[in-house]
Amino acid sequence: MILAVLFANSEGNILVERFNGVPAEERLHWRSFLVKLGADNLKGVKNEELLVASHKSVYIVYTVLGDVSVYVVGKDEYDELALAEVIFVITSAVKDVCGKLPTERLFLDKYGRICLTLDAIIWKGYLENTDKDRIRRLVRLKSPTEF
Amino acid sequence: MAQPLVKKDDDRDDEADYSPFLGIEKGAVLQEARVFNDPQLDPRRCSQVITKLLYLLNQGETFTKVEATEVFFAVTKLFQSKDIGLRRMVYVMIKELSPSADEVIIVTSSLMKDMTSKTDMYRANAIRVLCRITDGTLLTQIERYLKQAIVDKNPVVASAALVSGIHLLQTNPEIVKRWSNEVQEAVQSRAALVQFHALALLHQIRQNDRLAVNKLVSSLTKGSVRSPLAQCLLIRYTSQVIRESANNNQAGDRPFYDFLEGCLRHKAEMVIFEAARAITELNGVTSRELTPAITVLQLFLSSSKPVLRFAAVRTLNKVAMTHPVAVTNCNIDMESLISDQNRSIATLAITTLLKTGNESSVDRLMKQITNFMSDIADEFKIVVVEAIRSLCLKFPLKHRSLMNFLSNILREEGGFEYKKAIVDSIVILIRDIPEAKESGLLHLCEFIEDCEFTYLSTQILHFLGIEGPKTSDPSKYIRYIYNRVHLENATVRAGAVSTLAKFGAMVDTLKPRVFVLLRRCLFDNDDEVRDRATLYINTLGGDGAVVETGEDVKEFLFGSLDIPLVNLENSLKNYEPSEESFDINSVPKEVKTQPLAEKKAPGKKPTGLGASPAGPPSTVDAYEKLLSSIPEFANFGKLFKSSAPVELTEAETEYAVNVVKHIFDGHVVFQYNCTNTIPEQLLENVTVIVDASEAEEFAEVASKPLRSLPYDSPGQTFVAFEKPEGVPAVGKFSNMLRFIVKEVDPSTGEAEDDGVEDEYQLEELEVVAADYMLKVGVSNFRNAWETMDADCERVDEYGLGPRESLAEAVNAVINLLGMQPCEGTEVVPNNSRSHTCLLSGVYIGNVKVLVRLQFGLDGPKDVAMKLAVRSEDEAVSDAIHEIVASG
Repeated sequence: MILAVLFANSEGNILVERFNGVPAEERLHWRSFLVKLGADNLKGVKNEELLVASHKSVYIVYTVLGDVSVYVVGKDEYDELALAEVIFVITSAVKDVCGKLPTERLFLDKYGRICLTLDAIIWKGYLENTDKDRIRRLVRLKSPTEF
Repeated sequence: MAQPLVKKDDDRDDEADYSPFLGIEKGAVLQEARVFNDPQLDPRRCSQVITKLLYLLNQGETFTKVEATEVFFAVTKLFQSKDIGLRRMVYVMIKELSPSADEVIIVTSSLMKDMTSKTDMYRANAIRVLCRITDGTLLTQIERYLKQAIVDKNPVVASAALVSGIHLLQTNPEIVKRWSNEVQEAVQSRAALVQFHALALLHQIRQNDRLAVNKLVSSLTKGSVRSPLAQCLLIRYTSQVIRESANNNQAGDRPFYDFLEGCLRHKAEMVIFEAARAITELNGVTSRELTPAITVLQLFLSSSKPVLRFAAVRTLNKVAMTHPVAVTNCNIDMESLISDQNRSIATLAITTLLKTGNESSVDRLMKQITNFMSDIADEFKIVVVEAIRSLCLKFPLKHRSLMNFLSNILREEGGFEYKKAIVDSIVILIRDIPEAKESGLLHLCEFIEDCEFTYLSTQILHFLGIEGPKTSDPSKYIRYIYNRVHLENATVRAGAVSTLAKFGAMVDTLKPRVFVLLRRCLFDNDDEVRDRATLYINTLGGDGAVVETGEDVKEFLFGSLDIPLVNLENSLKNYEPSEESFDINSVPKEVKTQPLAEKKAPGKKPTGLGASPAGPPSTVDAYEKLLSSIPEFANFGKLFKSSAPVELTEAETEYAVNVVKHIFDGHVVFQYNCTNTIPEQLLENVTVIVDASEAEEFAEVASKPLRSLPYDSPGQTFVAFEKPEGVPAVGKFSNMLRFIVKEVDPSTGEAEDDGVEDEYQLEELEVVAADYMLKVGVSNFRNAWETMDADCERVDEYGLGPRESLAEAVNAVINLLGMQPCEGTEVVPNNSRSHTCLLSGVYIGNVKVLVRLQFGLDGPKDVAMKLAVRSEDEAVSDAIHEIVASG
């Protein structure tokens, strides 16, 4: 299960947080944990260079994309390798939506589309689509080209 | 919850500075949502409002029930619009709002229309939304469409239906299980993701049917699975099948191993890694099987991708626990990871190296770790400290450098948990490695000179009080202790006073000086410190002269309180101030064991300072206290050994009973720990009727029944046997629980007056030779062996017959003798044909015993063993041979 996808700006303010199967009372804890993890480790990290951590039986893969940081949390079948795949899909789709590496402003300008993109990629904690061209078409309610 | 994004940087142009959501406020957005009700919909405007709503929700904002209902009803109006972008937003919004069952009906017809639409994307999205909000009844109505969708030629539609199936299986398993045929067809799909989703769903549907999973794996491992993700799933299912069929295939032909090994050459790294991990986790994996997996993991260690490095080192870390030798080839690669930017990777690399390293590499490794420690977080440091502790126990000769390392990091900055981990480690090393004691105590003393944690200071002072007086020069610790009286808070000062008193009591020559110091404490400004000083000055006696301290004083200072603290607390609360002073003898001594609920909670095993400072025999101490408080057993002498509890009932039965065997020189006491798990019953007069007809040398002498055993509140009953003194008599006992059962009214908790006598059959219990042996390790086996008299050595050879493996034979002999394996020799490397195992222990009568076992494979499975025993008494050496000969 992909437990959480979280986007934050460079100051640690949350831009998007989507939790799956995480009780409401634990969300605040996760949010601050992830933001602290980013603050401790993401300084000077290159765009899309993946960092990885594990906390108990849960895995976290995170990175920087322009002005925003992206965190993906998973457990069971979504271990560090599967999450690396998920975060790769997310970062490439977000870049696709923004047309370049997102600034915070650009990210918020494209907020609606980014929400749709995330909806096409992850559905209730399961990875559903991985191809960015297909995701782009799905967001516009168009069938994929390759079938 | 929503945080307005503030201006960050003046250099950037105005446009970039402000967020489009600056100052966003829930109430205002909900007002804006009224545009959804306009007769002339403006799709662009509506999309913007939905975006704002999503922004709020994504920031953790919540809507009240009324707000959510209002927005939901407004959003349903948007189905009228034909604008595709807006429709996509509407789908997301409905899912986010997750309307309640009575509201869902409003959108079902619109969604069902979309689900049967000719536009593929409407179908896919409508399925996702419907499955999110649906309940069982609605699901039966749309089941037909979902089954069609699973085999839809558009992969997006098929995936939507399959992933819906995965979610619905949790809530409506019967319905989803009916889709098996369609899902099976989807597994053959040419679309990679459809295959991945279909495989996941099919496995979930069949997961309880072992044969079906086996068939699924057999067919798919032959064919080609397109997507790497699906291939990973297949590898996991394959390992499951291998695990479950492991019992049938002992000899090398492990099913599906070739498939796993083939996956190591797959083009996707994800698949290679999954296969490597699956191989390393195989039960009883052989070195030959392990080698190719370790090779690919070793390559990943130098990958440019941090995730791969992490995954590889994490797996190797696990392998190192069971097959340290297999991982040693990777040590050089792993050493370079110590400087990895990603601290998680570096920590894993270090802890792996600590597990695989040999004695000669310890010093080099410690040098590398020293540089690394300064720039990692406390939680990583704790992991390293624990690994160093295990390493030190493994190589006791290296205690000097490891202890130095621990003391160095103890001086550096760090939080409480980290410092506690280090102190615990030093304490454990002091207990287990006698040579490390003096230097360890001095390190602790230096630490308390500048320790900010009251808890650690007091615990160390307590520990010093017990261990310090037994050292060669106890006087050198006094300065450190007395400094505390000057420099610390009242809690620590009080602790220091007690420690000083212990030194005074144990070391007669120090007594006059300790008296001087204690007298100074009489003027402390804290009453507890003053009281303790007064108490100790009066109890130590002799008015500060060099005189021997009385045994009763020592018992008072060092003996643990033989009454449970809870009982003492209760008695003190009930005590009413009067002429008659409080009598500690009036406090009941019966231990009220923890209730069921607490017992089930996974308790962390106390280690280090958390455990009783007396070290390993802490439970024996508790047992000894308990037994000596029972008059019937009071004259049995000193307790030699108490076994671990042996379960006499299956898990989750009405009455749970386990037994602890207490061995005395001339007696054996069985302590039956009983728990009543039925709330409607109260048991009274609980006894165990023991039939000792198969234990000829034992004669029952006493039985102590348990008066009452209420629900969920464990209690004990005892039966004692006499046996020939000093003789390791063995035998088999059958047990029957006998009691009077009374019905309890659950509403009032009151039991009926009349009860019925009943019996409950328990499992049999055996007293074996190992019960007469204490597991006591030696830090340097060779030294201990050489110093023991060679005249008391007895050597003989034994044939153990055909055995499953060498490791199994080694384990069997260790268990038979009940001795402590030394220097990690209980682990038998894979595929070895000979092995030497070193054991040490103390035999009944307090006779030290050392055993050297040499095993060899004779033919394919036959194991031969040479047993050499040295002990302080040749009769004991002979007895050990007798145990082996008759075992």
